[in-house]
Amino acid sequence: MSSLRNTMVHRKKMFFFIWACTALFIGLVARLGYLMLVQGEYYSQKATQLHERERNIKASRGLILDRNGTVLAGNISVCTISVIHNQITNPDEVVQVLSKELGMSADSIRKSVEKYTSIERIKSNVDKETGDRIRAYDLDGVKVDEDYKRYYPYGELASKVLGFTGADNQGIIGLEVKYDEYLQGQPGQILTMTDARGIEYSLAGERRDEPEAGSNLYTTLDINIQSYATQLAYSAMESKEAESVSIIVMNPQNGEIYAMTSVPEYNPNEPFTLPEELNDLTGEARQDALNQMWRNGCVNDTYEPGSTFKVITGAAGLEEGVVTRETGFSCPGFIIVEDRKIKCHKVGGHGSLTFEGATMASCNPSYINVGLRLGIERYYDYFEQFGLFNKTGIDLPGEAGTIMHKEENMGLVELACVSFGQSFQITPIQLLTTISSIINGGTRITPHLGNYIADASGAATQKLVFPEASGIVSEETSKIMREMLEKVVSEGGGGNGKVEGFSVGGKTATSQTLPRGTGRYISSFVGFAPADDPQVIAIAIVNNPKGLYYGGLVAAPIIRQLYENILPYLGVEGI
Amino acid sequence: MKKEKKKRTEYYFDYSLLFIVLFLVGFGLMMIYSVSSYEAYTKYGSESFFLVKQLIAVGIGLVGMAVVTFVPYKWYEKLYGWGYVISFGLLALVPIIGIESHGVKRWLPLPGGQQFQPAELAKIAVILFCATMICKMGKGARKLGGNLILLLASGAMALGVYLLTSNLSSAIIVLGIGVVMIFVENRNYSVFIILAVIGIAAVVAFVMYMKNVGMDDGLSWRFERIVAWLDPEAHSQGKGFQTVQALYAIGSGGIWGKGLGQSMQKLGFIPEAQNDMIFSVICEELGLFGGILIIVLFLILLWRMVIIAINAQDMFGSQLVIGVAAQIAIQVILNIAVVTNTIPNTGISLPFISYGGTSVIFLLLEIGVVMSVARSIKLVE
Repeated sequence: MSSLRNTMVHRKKMFFFIWACTALFIGLVARLGYLMLVQGEYYSQKATQLHERERNIKASRGLILDRNGTVLAGNISVCTISVIHNQITNPDEVVQVLSKELGMSADSIRKSVEKYTSIERIKSNVDKETGDRIRAYDLDGVKVDEDYKRYYPYGELASKVLGFTGADNQGIIGLEVKYDEYLQGQPGQILTMTDARGIEYSLAGERRDEPEAGSNLYTTLDINIQSYATQLAYSAMESKEAESVSIIVMNPQNGEIYAMTSVPEYNPNEPFTLPEELNDLTGEARQDALNQMWRNGCVNDTYEPGSTFKVITGAAGLEEGVVTRETGFSCPGFIIVEDRKIKCHKVGGHGSLTFEGATMASCNPSYINVGLRLGIERYYDYFEQFGLFNKTGIDLPGEAGTIMHKEENMGLVELACVSFGQSFQITPIQLLTTISSIINGGTRITPHLGNYIADASGAATQKLVFPEASGIVSEETSKIMREMLEKVVSEGGGGNGKVEGFSVGGKTATSQTLPRGTGRYISSFVGFAPADDPQVIAIAIVNNPKGLYYGGLVAAPIIRQLYENILPYLGVEGI
Repeated sequence: MKKEKKKRTEYYFDYSLLFIVLFLVGFGLMMIYSVSSYEAYTKYGSESFFLVKQLIAVGIGLVGMAVVTFVPYKWYEKLYGWGYVISFGLLALVPIIGIESHGVKRWLPLPGGQQFQPAELAKIAVILFCATMICKMGKGARKLGGNLILLLASGAMALGVYLLTSNLSSAIIVLGIGVVMIFVENRNYSVFIILAVIGIAAVVAFVMYMKNVGMDDGLSWRFERIVAWLDPEAHSQGKGFQTVQALYAIGSGGIWGKGLGQSMQKLGFIPEAQNDMIFSVICEELGLFGGILIIVLFLILLWRMVIIAINAQDMFGSQLVIGVAAQIAIQVILNIAVVTNTIPNTGISLPFISYGGTSVIFLLLEIGVVMSVARSIKLVE
């Protein structure tokens, strides 16, 4: 039996078998080639994603400095203390040391120590000395990681302008968020290869991308002016029992803001701490209160500007030629527009007076007359030409827009109200910017806080440029407005804004807040110096003062006190 | 001269076959160490835990192979019946005294804490049984009745492997060995071609059907594997996990590989990479080059065996060699097809290379038989 020989058929069959095998093997080689050459990139990327674990290294955030190089927002080193369960050799000692050094209960630390996780954070933002002390114990499984925390050395100062940062050092509001891309820097990474359990595979080594520190932001703020403005705002708020006081100090020629405050400010080092009386709030109410606390009234809120807006009406009238300085008006104490009788603030009326006189006396009927002479369409055009419909473009987040009647809804009554600054709303920064543009010779400037970006050594890497538009009023109109506004201060209703030894131009305003008749007022004053070539302009807005509420009495003295100090400091020429 | 030469090379010894087998076994040991050392160290505290166990099995297998090579293969003819019965009996013991691992009972305990997988014996038993029966039946083997006997014998053993040790992959191999041996012994082509076409058509139809079936439709786990095969990455956290990890390994190899020992995927990402998935790590560490090298070596090995089978002194030897070749061919093709996700995932080890003592011992014994057949070939008649 076993001596049966293979036949030809058997041989052919065997060859068939081996050739079939060969064909299948070739097929597998092709499949393998496809996977490794065509799909290889895709699979190896996926595999690397699977193997690499990344730990971020925070970049130190760029500083925010004032125009003189004083640090307004810096960083302090803090530590994060964590434990790695697998590496702890003496859990009792770890618990004892950490609870002693961190002032935490031993139970809560023990819970973390005994938790079977790869890494468990015990406490972050531990100050550096404590971190160093814990590191000195050299405990197995205890990690002390250095970290940065934003620190505002001057506390409340300019808090609403600077804003603050979140847990990951990212800007939340204010300049911190506006210039986040510069300040943030590039976080670094430690890339380690791990096995399937997530344990680092030391043989594979680690890749390290070093973090790149953020750039420094030099602002136009001047810490001295800012401090003094804040001080004045607080004292005015206290003495007038006002709800809030805002002050902006700016260079009207280029829009550089020297100071901006809106008291009460908050402490950006602890931005989530509400004032005591609000501390019980929870949930949405708490968040609302926080948002309210962080709001920058100069930029984020609008108000009815009142008589300070007569500067705009006046400039439009002069520019259009419907009035001159000497144009005569007569004020019987009221004016009737269509069916409405609009009163002047002076009950008996100002009698007959020139346009200049009307400006000095802040006469409503005269200014309504100017508005009516312009007419709705032309007034609207000037409103537009002066840039009042657009936002100012200030480099702060959340700038509020202008709230104004639509042209087609505007009647003569509305026009009359707008002419002396009522029935519409703009932001304080918008008013200040527009007035600046009128008195600086007609250049619409962009108010700004950012000056230039610099690297860590302080060398400027990028000058921040803001748009300007010239010719919004003629030089002639601008000059007349400066002179008339100077007279407002030297001889007219803004007398309290007078600064000994300097020529100051300005305009007061007292506006009732909506709804009318509640006895709530906003007193404000805009003043600039020197009157013939303004180098500085400032606005003070006192929100709901008690007792006397006239802008000339409440707000003008604030600017006077401010100027008494800062005009010499700024080197503004006296008379 | 001629007479002298005839005397000197009275019998043939296939050195290239031996060399390839030794290379594959040695390569396998190296790869097992490379692949398993990390897991061995983290789980058992010894980097060479798996290597040592495999080394012992390889040692036993090589000694066995050497002995079998010099035993005239005709002696085995008498064992065919007992071999079949004993093999079946051992399979039947598995449900009773078998050792469970990974949720299935496939192993029998041996003295000294060792284990034995009867399915490996079943393969050799079917080869011996079919080869003997073909010779016994003579021309009758080519008739329908003879074919049915052979089919029944291998089918019954396959069913035993599947039902008693719940091992579908080994059952497929056992049946496949039978089918290849019947094919070679038979004069007919058309029946096999028709059967193959029907089979392929059925598979294609089934796959088309499965494409529309979701994982949540209450399928048994074998069906879930098929759904995972069609889109492994969609099931990468479930049934497709092992496959996706193997593909990551293969894909990261490139042409020349990351270098021996440099695999990342073996660090616990591919579960038990030293077993059925070892080829994926070979590709990761040695690249397309290494992968093709192994495939080519297996192909040369098979060609050598077929040459031996064609030149064998008798039908019995020829059939024995074809049976062994069939087993190795099926295992290599299915294993690489699984690892490259060409077919659904099923546990088939790569001959000589994958970790597994029983498998390598029996394979080496089978090679011993093949070399014994080769030795009987007279070079000059």
